[in-house]
Amino acid sequence: MTGDRRIWLWFTPVLLVLGGVFLIPVADVIRFSFSDATLLRPVTGYGLDGYASAYGDDSLPVILRNTGLFTLLSVVSLQAMGLAIALLLVRGDRRGLWGMGLLRTIVLAAWVIPGIANGLIWQMLLSEAPFGAVNSLLRLIGLAPVAWLSDPGNAMLSAVIANVWQGSAFSMIVFYAARRAVDPVLYEAAAVDGASPTAQFLFITIPQMRGAILVNTILVTIQTLNTFDTILALTGGGPGRATEVLSLNIFNRVFYSYDLGGGSALAVLLLAISMMLTLVYLAVLMRKGTR
Amino acid sequence: MTPRVGDMLTYLAGIVLAALFLMPLLWLVSLSLRTPAEVYLGAARFIPEAPTLDNFRQILTDGAFGTYLWNAVKLCALGALGAVIVATPAAYAASRFTFRGKGPLMVGILMVQMISPLVVIIPLYRYLDRLGMLESHLSVIAVYMAIGVPLSVWLIKVGFDTIPPALEEAAAIDGCNRADILMRITLPLAAPALASAFILNMIMGWSQFLVPFILLTRDGQLPIAVAIYNFAGSSSASTTQLLAAACLVAVVPALAAFLALQRLIVRAIMAGAVKG
Repeated sequence: MTGDRRIWLWFTPVLLVLGGVFLIPVADVIRFSFSDATLLRPVTGYGLDGYASAYGDDSLPVILRNTGLFTLLSVVSLQAMGLAIALLLVRGDRRGLWGMGLLRTIVLAAWVIPGIANGLIWQMLLSEAPFGAVNSLLRLIGLAPVAWLSDPGNAMLSAVIANVWQGSAFSMIVFYAARRAVDPVLYEAAAVDGASPTAQFLFITIPQMRGAILVNTILVTIQTLNTFDTILALTGGGPGRATEVLSLNIFNRVFYSYDLGGGSALAVLLLAISMMLTLVYLAVLMRKGTR
Repeated sequence: MTPRVGDMLTYLAGIVLAALFLMPLLWLVSLSLRTPAEVYLGAARFIPEAPTLDNFRQILTDGAFGTYLWNAVKLCALGALGAVIVATPAAYAASRFTFRGKGPLMVGILMVQMISPLVVIIPLYRYLDRLGMLESHLSVIAVYMAIGVPLSVWLIKVGFDTIPPALEEAAAIDGCNRADILMRITLPLAAPALASAFILNMIMGWSQFLVPFILLTRDGQLPIAVAIYNFAGSSSASTTQLLAAACLVAVVPALAAFLALQRLIVRAIMAGAVKG
């Protein structure tokens, strides 16, 4: 069976589907990025105009700053939240505490909510109208309302909060699995040596879970970079451009401004970042495999 | 710190976290049950004094929302099914055979998963426009299918890996041919993996916004995620309770499916994230 050419027959459907929907379009995006095409007008010439217009655009530094900030804050918070819940669940399991399964279910429930619905839900929560959930609660306990969505800095924070609420479950599951795979003997030995829980966390849990944390960082970063529907529904990228990230900018550029060349040039950037992160991910996985 | 104090702190943290994660959904339910007058009372009226199902009645008897829900079910079910059908032979071959180029091929399939649909939707829009296939559910299903294929290949491969080849060999000795073995032994045993791939694809498809938003514009064809976005664009403060009801209608099917099939889904995420 090995070496048989007929083996590739098994892969024909996958190769056709992925080729048609991913590989050929990716090649075309790269081609468009060097062309003067618009969404509806075919290519009439090639050049670097798309790159010049997209990368020379005054708004690009702001967009990249937003993207970096949103991604950094999201990735750090997603993992901190995921790790905290995972460790809490593991402790609860070990002590036989009640309700740990319920907590896991509640956190996971947010994960299945569509990004658009997530954005709309948080818009209702953070609404600055007098009846917005969070602000009316603040007023009830005698605090001043906060401009969650109309203040540029707060809007970014709000987008991160919405993203973290929905996305923490993924990191939680990854870390929960990784933490349970840590050999309990390590903790027993540390306890015998009189190591405090903090010391155990710093010198056993974190080092033992290093691989999982690294892999999760990359996966979560790619996910965060590539999605924009929560932001679209929550702030639409505003106020001004305060929450407009790269993927949302590409979407607006191509489908509202019909600037296919410029949008493709930025899509190539998004693709390049994702692929670079994927290569790092693969390198990590392979090193883990050989060890 | 005694274990008992630790337990109390664990419960306390657990309750705070559960409240944080549950609150947005409870608020959504609260809004959706209010009359417009009660919406204006904000958090003070968390439990409506005069709860009403009128908002749901208005959304669900609209007719259009039934269509949006049906569209979403149809698109993501067929896309998920297609992905599993396309992925299964590849997953089987990847699990059972060794051959030159297998490593790079599997890595290549994994890399495709990291490509944002945003990157490929631009050319796809142009192809489909030229073929006259915009506004077609078939096109959207094909794209959903492709988006689901990479993860499905990996998940199903892991499933096949757990089935001992000895079972297949025994059947072969008894005179079964390969097709028989696949249909009667291997696929039934791989059913949990096939099911979790299907469900994960369903949930991803239910959340999809970009693909249908770009490829479909006729109102009667839209799935629910796009419909609530459009609905939000046309709603105002005075219709918040209706928007909340619409969001809930969009979210509840995914939540119900998740609650029913949680075990499979958690296992699929673990297998997907900690591959091999």
